[in-house]
Parts: sequence; C-alpha cells; structure tokens
Amino acid sequence: MKNSIKVERAKKGITQAKLAELVKVSRQTINAIELGKYNLSTSLALKMASIFACEVSNIFELEEEDWE
Amino acid sequence: MVNQFPSWEFFDWQVFAFIDEAFMGSDSYFKLVENNVIDEITGTILLIGLVLVAFSKEKVEDEFISKIRVESLVWATYVNYAVLLVSILFVYGGAFFSVLIFNLFTILFFFIIRFNWMLHKSAKTLVDEK
Repeated sequence: MKNSIKVERAKKGITQAKLAELVKVSRQTINAIELGKYNLSTSLALKMASIFACEVSNIFELEEEDWE
Repeated sequence: MVNQFPSWEFFDWQVFAFIDEAFMGSDSYFKLVENNVIDEITGTILLIGLVLVAFSKEKVEDEFISKIRVESLVWATYVNYAVLLVSILFVYGGAFFSVLIFNLFTILFFFIIRFNWMLHKSAKTLVDEK
C-alpha cells in the first residue's frame, strides 16, 4: 500500500511527532506506516483523513501486490 | 540438582497442600504439611514480577505496539518449545528436571527480550526531523 502521509504532513507543516499526538498513537507507529512497514487499522486511517481534511483514498493507495 | 535452596529453618512452615507426593510412604491430599517455603516465595515473586514487566502497558499503547506485542508472544512460544525440544533430546538425568522448571519462566524472558528489542528497533529507525 502506497501512502502520501509525508506529503500531507509537509502541506500541513507538521512533524511525525505532532501527527502522532493528533491521532493519539506513538511516533514509531507513524514512522512505520510512512515507511510502509505497518498496515494500519481502518479507524486510524479515518482519523488521519480527518486531520488532513481529505478522503482516506487520497492518502492511501492500493498497489498491485496488495491483490495477491 | 533442583532443590539447592538454602534450608533456613525459619522458612519451614505448615502449609495447606492439595497434593503432597511422598518419596516414601503414602501421599497426602488436602492436608496441612510441613514444607520449606523459600521456593514458593521465590517462584511467586519471580512470576508476578515477570508478568508485570511483560504485560504492563507502554506509555502510548497503540495498535502497532499491540501488534509487536502479539508477534513477540508467538515468537517466544516457538522459541520456548524449540528449547524444550532440544532439551528433551539432549539433556538427561536431574538436569532435565531443572530445564523443565526453567522452561516455565523462560517463555516470559524470551517475550520480554524480543518485545523490547522490536520496540527499540522501531524507535531507532525514526527519521530525524525538525
């Protein structure tokens, strides 16, 4: 799964730590998600969309191998 | 081999036993028996301590941390039984009995080590940013 959290963060001008605080998770979690090492839950994805004021599908995008 | 606790008489108590299997003579069931309780005290403290260390919540206990926790517990179970299998095959006599006792606690040790290692690793990969 591809994600554009880094881009969205840059647009909003917030750090990983700040985003972690806003969605109430640890910084490790934000980092792992950004690096594509962790497949986050639906509720966390919705929280992020709410913080960035966009749709979940704007932030996260399926890749070919996600279908396998 | 196993029972090498110091035998201070102060710790010889009358304790209630569900079962007390006698080496000679008859077994006792649901009776008060004389027993040195140092091993009971040690075991209880060790067990409670390990469980507290292992399963206390992190400061921020979120879904990613929970995932590491569950994965580590599964990993610890595999490793613990792998150690047990090796011990069954290659350890004999009284030492094998010691291994069995240790094996009761090592699952928590393996879990604690692996869980904290994974936490440490994911903290280390944090990219430095302002």
